[in-house]
Amino acid sequence: MGAEREPGPPPAVPWKKVLYEQQPFPDNYVDRRFLEELRKNMYVRHYRYWSVVYESGLVAQQLSCVCIFVLLWGHMDQGLLSPHWLIAAGLVGSLVGYALYDLVDWGRGRARCGRSRWADLKSTAIFLAFTYGFSPVLKTLTEAVSTDTVYAMASLMLLAHLLFFEYGAPPDVVSSGFSLNVAIFASVCLASRLPGPLHAFATVTCAIQVFALWPTLLRRLKASAPCGYVAGVALVCMAGVAGTLSVSAVGGVLLALLLLSVSLLCPLLLTRLQLYKDNIHGPWDEAEIKEDLSRFLQ
Amino acid sequence: MVLKIFFPQCCNAADSGLLIGRWLPGHNSAVVLAVIHFPFIPGQVKQYLNQLQSLTQVDLTVLGSWCKPSEDQERVQSFLKDLSTIFPHERWLQLSSEKGKKRFSCLVNSRGSKVFESGDKEDKGDQVICIHYDQCKVMLSQLHPAQGGILNPQTELSELRLVFQTVSQSQALFYIDKYDEGPFKLTHWQSEGREGSILVELSKQASVPVCLVLAWLLSIWYWVCKSRILNLWPMRFVSSKLSSCIQLSHRAEHLQTISVPRKAEDHTEFMRKANIFVSFLVDVALGLLLVSWLYRENRIGQLAETLVPVADHIAEELQELLKWLMGAPAGLKMNRALDQVLGRFFLYHIHLWISYIHLLSPFIGMILWYVGLSACLGLTFALSVLSDIVALLTFHIYCFYVYGARLYCLKIYGLSSLWRLFRGKKWNVLRQRVDSCSYDLDQLFIGTLLFTILLFLLPTTALYYLVFTLLRLLVVLFQGLLHLCVDFINSFPLFAMGLRICRSYRLAAGVKFRVLEQESERPLHLLMEINPLTYSAVLQWYRTLTYSCYPKDSWGALCKKLFIGELIYPWKHKNIKTD
Repeated sequence: MGAEREPGPPPAVPWKKVLYEQQPFPDNYVDRRFLEELRKNMYVRHYRYWSVVYESGLVAQQLSCVCIFVLLWGHMDQGLLSPHWLIAAGLVGSLVGYALYDLVDWGRGRARCGRSRWADLKSTAIFLAFTYGFSPVLKTLTEAVSTDTVYAMASLMLLAHLLFFEYGAPPDVVSSGFSLNVAIFASVCLASRLPGPLHAFATVTCAIQVFALWPTLLRRLKASAPCGYVAGVALVCMAGVAGTLSVSAVGGVLLALLLLSVSLLCPLLLTRLQLYKDNIHGPWDEAEIKEDLSRFLQ
Repeated sequence: MVLKIFFPQCCNAADSGLLIGRWLPGHNSAVVLAVIHFPFIPGQVKQYLNQLQSLTQVDLTVLGSWCKPSEDQERVQSFLKDLSTIFPHERWLQLSSEKGKKRFSCLVNSRGSKVFESGDKEDKGDQVICIHYDQCKVMLSQLHPAQGGILNPQTELSELRLVFQTVSQSQALFYIDKYDEGPFKLTHWQSEGREGSILVELSKQASVPVCLVLAWLLSIWYWVCKSRILNLWPMRFVSSKLSSCIQLSHRAEHLQTISVPRKAEDHTEFMRKANIFVSFLVDVALGLLLVSWLYRENRIGQLAETLVPVADHIAEELQELLKWLMGAPAGLKMNRALDQVLGRFFLYHIHLWISYIHLLSPFIGMILWYVGLSACLGLTFALSVLSDIVALLTFHIYCFYVYGARLYCLKIYGLSSLWRLFRGKKWNVLRQRVDSCSYDLDQLFIGTLLFTILLFLLPTTALYYLVFTLLRLLVVLFQGLLHLCVDFINSFPLFAMGLRICRSYRLAAGVKFRVLEQESERPLHLLMEINPLTYSAVLQWYRTLTYSCYPKDSWGALCKKLFIGELIYPWKHKNIKTD
C-alpha cells in the first residue's frame, strides 16, 4: 500500500476518496482511515471433522473401486476367475442394487426424474447387446500394440478417472461424463488383453457396474439413507483392502494406509490448518458485483 | 514550355512544301504526317484536308512549312512566310534544313506575336525538341498499357498514345502513292508495293465463303449436341468428365470465334482470332504428323500388343503391394483382422479387373486403330484421348482410392465427433461452437466404445488410404501433365509470338529516345525507337483463356482435402465451373 503521507502540516481541505475532483494531494495519497476498512477471514468456512470424514469417504471408496476392478481383471487374466462367475455375480449385484435404488427412498427419486422402468430395460439391453456384439472386435483390437503400452494407457486413464470423478465439487471443475468415458476406455484397453471374447464382455460389464452404476447408487444412498452410504463405503473399502492383501501384503497395507490417510488424516489436517488461515480484505480488493444481473441478460 | 515536334524520318529528304499534321489537344506538341510539295493550289489543299478529316476522324491541319536547301533559299523562305497568312493557324512552324548541316532548324511563329528562334534560351525559355520517328513502324505498332491495363480507346490518353493513335488513324493518307496522278505531290511513308499481296487478296476473298461453310458445319454440330439423347443424365455426366469431350467443345468454341465472317473490330479481337487460327493450324499439323507416324509400320498394332501386358503387369504389382500391406508393412502396428479383410477385398477387385482386361484384349487393337484416327482433329485431341484411356485403364486404382478415402473420411468424421462426446462436449450448430452437454449413460457408453474401436482401427485404414492416395496422385499427376500440354497448345499465343519475333515493333511496350544532335542555338533532335513488348508480357496479353486459367484449389486446400479424406479429381468441380 503506497500510503505516502506528507510530513508537512495537513492541508485545510479534508481528503475525499474520489477521483472526479481536483484535490491538493498526490494521486496515491490515502489518509488514516485507510486501514479502518480492513477485514480478516471473511469467507472462511468452519468445517466439522466428522462431516469432512463423511464426505471424504467418497474419495476413498472410489480409490478402492479402481483397485477392485483392476484386481478382478488381473484374476481373470491369470485364469483364477472365470468370466461366467464374474458375469453371474455382476448380474446378482446389479439386481440387488437396482432394487435397493428404488427401495431406499420409496420411489420418490424415480417419480421426480420421471424415468420409466421401460427406459431402464432398454438401456440395459443396449449395454448388453453392444458389449456382447463388439466383444470379438474388442478382443483383437490391440493385438499389435505391445502390452506395456496398453497397461500404461489404462493406468493413465484410470488416474484421469480418479481426478475427474464428481466427488461433489462444482460441475465446471470436474466432468462426470469425461471420467466415465475414460474409465470405459481403460476397461476396453484392458479387456483386449484377455484371452477370449467372453472375458472381454465380462470386463466391460464389470466396468459399467463399478464405474457407472455403483456411484449412482451411492449418491442415492448418500442423499436418502446416510447409514447405508457409510456402510457401502466401508464395505467397498474393506473389500478393496482385502482383495489387495490376497494378492500382495505390501500392496494391501499401502492401500489401507492410503485409504486411512485420505478419509481420516486429510480431514484432520484440513480442520487443523483452517486455524492458520489469514485472509485480509479491504478497499483494495477488486470490485465485486453483488447484484443479480440476470435480468439484463435476455 | 517545350514544344515537341514529331517528325517522320522519311520526310527529311522531301522537297520544300507545306507540313500536314495535327496539333495534339492538351499537349504542346505537333505530329507531322506528310509534306505537300510545290506547286499546289491552297484551296485544293484545304479541300483535300477536309476530305481526309472526314475519312480518318483526325483533325488534320497545315502545321507550317518545310524548306529544302536550294540555291534560291531566301526567296523560297519569304514565299513560305507569306503562305502562313493563307492558312488559318495558331502557330506556324517553319522548318528549314540548311546546307552543310545534317539536321533542320526550326522557327515557331505565334499569331500576333514576334517570331522567335528556337534554342534561344533567353527568349521566354520556349524550347523546341524535334523527335524523329519511323512512320511505318509507328503506324503499324500497337502500344500496350504498362501494367495490367486494358486496350480501351475511351480512357484518357497520354501524349505518346495520342501520337501513336494519330499516325495509325491516318493510314488513308499514306495510301496515296508517289506515282499517283493527283492535284499535288506528297511525301510520306510509302509501302513497298503490292505485287506480293495477290495471295493475301485471294485468301481474303476466299475467307468469307470458308467462314460461312464453317459456321454452317458448326451449327450442325451444335444441333447434334443439343439433341435429346446426348442430354440425358449419364451421357452429360460422362461427357463432362471425359477430357476429349471437353477438348472437342473447346475446339468448337474456337472455330465459332474464327468463323464470324466479318472483319475484326479492334486489335484485341484481331489478335485473338489470329492466335486461335494459327494454334489450330499448328495443332492439326502436329496431329497429322502423329497419325502418319502411328500408322506407318503397324506401330498401332505393336502399341495394342504392349498395352495388355502393361495393364497385367500393373495389376500384378498392385497384388504384390496388397500382399505386402496385408503383412506387417514397415513394421507398423496394424489391426490384423481388419488388415486381412481390406486386403482380401482389394485383391478380389484386382482379380475382377484382370478378368475384365482379358475379356477386352481381343478388341483393343481395333479400338486403338479407330481411336488413333481421331488424332486428325489435332494433337490436343489425341492427348486428351490418351488421358481418357489412362483414366479408363487405371480405373481400379481410382476405385481403391475411393473406397480407401470414404472409409478414412468416415473414420475421421466419426472420431472427431466422438472425441467431443468423449470430453463431454458437443458441437452446437446454432452458435457454431463446442458446448458442454450432459449425455445419458448409454450414449456415453456406446460413444466411448465406438471411439475406442475407431481409434485403434484408424492406423490400418489410414495406411491403406495413404498408399492408394499416392497411387491415385501418380495417375492424377500424369493426367495433369497431359492436360497441361493440351492447355499449353490451346492457349499459347503463337501468332503474337511470331509477330514479336519477326516484327518486334508491331507490339510496343513503350518508346526510347536517342539523341541525334545537340547543339546550342539549335533544336534538340531525338530519335524515337520502339521498345518491343517482353515475351512474358506477350504471353500475358494474348494467351487464349481456357479453363485452366481459372483458379483451382490452392495447395493448402488440397492438403487439407487429402488429410480429411475428401476425394480429389483432375477435373474441376461444379461450383468452380459456375463462376
